[in-house]
Amino acid sequence: MIFAESSTIIHLQGVTKEYPPDNIVFSNIDLEIEKGEFIFLTGPSGIGKTTLLRLLFCAEQPTSGEIWVDGVALSSLSNSQIPYLRRKIGVIFQDFKLLSDHTVFDNVALSLEVIGLNRRQSRKRVMQVLEGVGLAGKWSNYPLQLSGGEQQRVAIARAVVNRPAIVLADEPTGNLDQERTNEVMMLMEELNARGATVVFATHDDRLYENTHRRVVKLPEGKFEIS
Amino acid sequence: MSLASLCHRVLSDLRQHLYTQIITTVVVSLSIVIFAFFTLIYFNLHQFVERFGTELGLVVFLTNDIPQGKIPGLYQKLTELPGVEKVTYISSKKAFKRLENYLKGEKGVLEGIDPKFLPPSFEVRVNRAVFHLKRIRQLAEEIGNWPEVSKVQFGQEWIDRLESFLRLFRILVAVSGLLLLFTAGFVVANTIKLTVYARQEELKIMRLVGATNTFIQGPFLAEAFMQGLLGSSLAIGAIFVCYRFLQGLAASSELLRGVNIYFLPWPYTLAIITSSILFCVLGTAIAMWRFLRL
Ligand SMILES: Nc1ncnc2c1ncn2[C@@H]1O[C@H](COP(=O)(O)OP(=O)(O)OP(=O)(O)O)[C@@H](O)[C@H]1O
Ligand SMILES: [Mg+2]
Repeated sequence: MIFAESSTIIHLQGVTKEYPPDNIVFSNIDLEIEKGEFIFLTGPSGIGKTTLLRLLFCAEQPTSGEIWVDGVALSSLSNSQIPYLRRKIGVIFQDFKLLSDHTVFDNVALSLEVIGLNRRQSRKRVMQVLEGVGLAGKWSNYPLQLSGGEQQRVAIARAVVNRPAIVLADEPTGNLDQERTNEVMMLMEELNARGATVVFATHDDRLYENTHRRVVKLPEGKFEIS
Repeated sequence: MSLASLCHRVLSDLRQHLYTQIITTVVVSLSIVIFAFFTLIYFNLHQFVERFGTELGLVVFLTNDIPQGKIPGLYQKLTELPGVEKVTYISSKKAFKRLENYLKGEKGVLEGIDPKFLPPSFEVRVNRAVFHLKRIRQLAEEIGNWPEVSKVQFGQEWIDRLESFLRLFRILVAVSGLLLLFTAGFVVANTIKLTVYARQEELKIMRLVGATNTFIQGPFLAEAFMQGLLGSSLAIGAIFVCYRFLQGLAASSELLRGVNIYFLPWPYTLAIITSSILFCVLGTAIAMWRFLRL
């Protein structure tokens, strides 16, 4: 398979995902995302945005088609290679996926710990990022002691603390008020300006109505091609 | 992942999940206690029976009219038989004395009876090392054929019964031992499985943020190792206390005087500890596996 230009960082070709027995979430999707791009992935609830993102970090496998991330065909990855792919990708999960018996600090530090940094080495960076999302004062709290919006910001901090090349944001503003939403949007812009490729999934069209960014709408008919 | 960071994670893990760690360790410990106690009892019964058997000897009755002069020759002949450890001559008179002692207050019964009415005999003790029921039987037959011998007694019936009992006993022990082992394994495996499943969210999340399986498994396996080691050591310790208790009991009991109580042989206890550790570590690794695949 010839990989188009080297500036393509995410490439989907003919990707179909179905959940047996009969739920075809999407079929035959083609999509190319450039390095350093900031794109919105949109469509109504239940259309398959989360599913598409999950394919990108191998939490799910496509029923057919192939996906390349940073030049690597995902179908060729073995179970033991997947963690190394995931370190290049910061994922902000729609449902946060925080460790409830770890503090805010430990949750964020986890991203650095898995690549071999110890607490002392990661402290400065973790506190910096927590400050960036306005949670420096709550570093020692546990997730369940935080509001939904605060938990979401912890999830954001964990996703970006190791400065990944790709940020997959799944409704990262879903629980935030206007002011916090703007802050998160600015944070994403900033990451993008530093070179990260950002895929921003949302069904909130206000977020992208005035943007110059590319907006990819997942097709509602099951056999269209984006 | 460095050793320091592994230790740090194990420690904070222990702090967070102390309760489940203790429960698992206790379950491991109890399972082993039950099994090891069973084997301790079996082991001792076995030793007891074996020794009891060896203390059996032969009684060789001679013909009543045997001339005194023939006794030393016979004595010599008996001692020279392979497997014979000790031979004691019991003359008619001595046998009569014994009977008198035995009857104590009712000596009158024997009044007027010729002290020579009891035949002289040899008591033959068989060497422990050579001891085998078959060998005793052979020996008895051989001696029984001598012309000076009227009868050889060795509790044939008793030995036969003991033998068939032992056969049954061994089968029973093997079956119940296996059942116990199986139950213990089942309980421990499921306890481990449940504690791992209770933390599946954590495992999945660590995978999602790019942790390798080695990184995730590190603390879990280290903890499993400690559970296996601690659980089995506690169990062996408890069995040792039981053993001391039984020993004391045997020493103070009239009936069991002279009966030795043995502890499980050390290669056996070592095997229990090793397999307990292996079981916990493998069980944990297997239980974790399904959460580390995606
Ligand atoms: N594990 C699964 N098994 C079966 N069906 C699933 C599974 N995960 C998702 N689906 C189905 O896939 C479809 C797309 O779900 P997905 O979560 O991707 O939607 P979404 O676009 O992210 O929606 P939202 O905006 O509400 O987050 C839904 O119809 C859902 O029922
Ligand atoms: Mg979604």
